[in-house]
Amino acid sequence: MADGGINLNDFDLAKLNESDKAELRQFFANEGQKARIQTTVHNLTDMCFRKCVTGTIRSGKLDKSEEGCMANCADRFIDVSQLTVKHLQNLRQS
Amino acid sequence: MDSSGSVKAEVIKQVKTQYAVENARLLVEKVNEHCFEKCVPKPGSSLSNSESTCFTQCMEKYMSAWNQVSSTYVERLRREQ
Repeated sequence: MADGGINLNDFDLAKLNESDKAELRQFFANEGQKARIQTTVHNLTDMCFRKCVTGTIRSGKLDKSEEGCMANCADRFIDVSQLTVKHLQNLRQS
Repeated sequence: MDSSGSVKAEVIKQVKTQYAVENARLLVEKVNEHCFEKCVPKPGSSLSNSESTCFTQCMEKYMSAWNQVSSTYVERLRREQ
């Protein structure tokens, strides 16, 4: 979240006590992780919708084959991204 | 509430709102992109009934697809961590 966002200088952070500071740090870590997951889901959906929903739109629901395709597509994309990392690690070791 | 607690609550509230807005913005952008492409192949002088029906269904479909990917991905993360 780069722009249009929140400027922490707008808050009176000096008022925070240590335990609230710790809680906020945890909150930021959690929200950051959630945001990363959501960004990945957006990207995967974008990619996989293009691959899986190819016909004319006839209903608002995913049909069975589209549903299976979306799940497979997401899973296989994770497979290949892991493969890339593994391959690069092998290259570095040899 | 003490002032530390109220500053904390305000930070949390604003950050959550900001994330929700960003998430919605991205979803709207993607739905428009995909469904305009699918449902309005040849833009006419106005949006026809069939185009707008298609668009609504496409939007619902895209959101189902998003949920499907989300549960697949989250399940995978849980299995592999």
